[in-house]
Amino acid sequence: MTGDGDRGRPDPGSGLEQEQSRLLRKALHHAGIRHGDLWLRYFSIGGTVGEYEVDAYIQSLMSLPPDQRDLIAHAANELIDEFPPLPRAPYLEDLIQ
Amino acid sequence: MPQQLPLDELTLALARINGLLLTEEKVDRAVQLLAEGIRDAFPGSSGAGVSLLDEHGNRTSTGATDPVVLEADEAQYELGQGPCLTAWATERTVLMHDVATDDRWPLWSQAVRDLSIRSVISAPLMAGTRCLGALKIYSTQPGAYDAATARPLEKLVVPAATLLANIQSSEAPKRFTQVLTSALLSRDTINRAQGFLMHRHGLDQGAALQRLLELSKTSRQSLFSVSTDILTETKSGPDDG
Repeated sequence: MTGDGDRGRPDPGSGLEQEQSRLLRKALHHAGIRHGDLWLRYFSIGGTVGEYEVDAYIQSLMSLPPDQRDLIAHAANELIDEFPPLPRAPYLEDLIQ
Repeated sequence: MPQQLPLDELTLALARINGLLLTEEKVDRAVQLLAEGIRDAFPGSSGAGVSLLDEHGNRTSTGATDPVVLEADEAQYELGQGPCLTAWATERTVLMHDVATDDRWPLWSQAVRDLSIRSVISAPLMAGTRCLGALKIYSTQPGAYDAATARPLEKLVVPAATLLANIQSSEAPKRFTQVLTSALLSRDTINRAQGFLMHRHGLDQGAALQRLLELSKTSRQSLFSVSTDILTETKSGPDDG
């Protein structure tokens, strides 16, 4: 942990934080991204919070500063964007070409 | 925001790497003990050896009970032929009743003629479907081994290979170092891009990061690639943006 006194204390935006971590959790679950992989990407893009704390945040057990929460969300979205897109159905024209 | 590295994780990462390197020593020790155990378990044997090979057939670890075994082993890998290499490649036990008359590996037979080796049995170290290497027992007498030797040897080899597979991880530290290196490179690049934006636009660190995040979001490119672009443009000549 860091010596940041604001962490862990509920703030007026804690409802939003709960919502942010809940939807993150949902997105990770849907994409099948492991928490360890998310942390590694988050760390790679400059995240400063440890793996244990990030894991606790994902489970809505711990509060993190907004900038770190957004960085975690960004890391998740980068990983999600790297998945191959779902195959699309071809039009007849696509098959003739 | 203070730039604090998650030191716990880095410490853990380094500990993991060190742990894995230690494991390699453990593999050597395990292989050595296995060779000694096998020699003792098969009476009439003059020596035994165990070689672990990677997927290209290069030796990663060797254990042998005596210098004769090492020398005979060395000759196999130099010549690229011999009973153990065949056991490894075919994943089957190889019996050599008499080195003097067996003509399957002529170069190797020639090379070991002056070593006191007359018969050989070599079994592949199978861990599941993976072949980790081969072990061999040598005797100074011809015809020391037969199918009756092969069976208990094969029984012994399977659990030994399974255990070795669990401690053998010479590839793992390398892979882990690559992961750590690329994570640090990415961090460093993004930090430098942030620094550039701070300087160029008079932003504080948080605002610079926000700017990068925006760029990444709108361009659908990763933060790392957006940062790389910014730094490359800086090199090729700044504009007035």
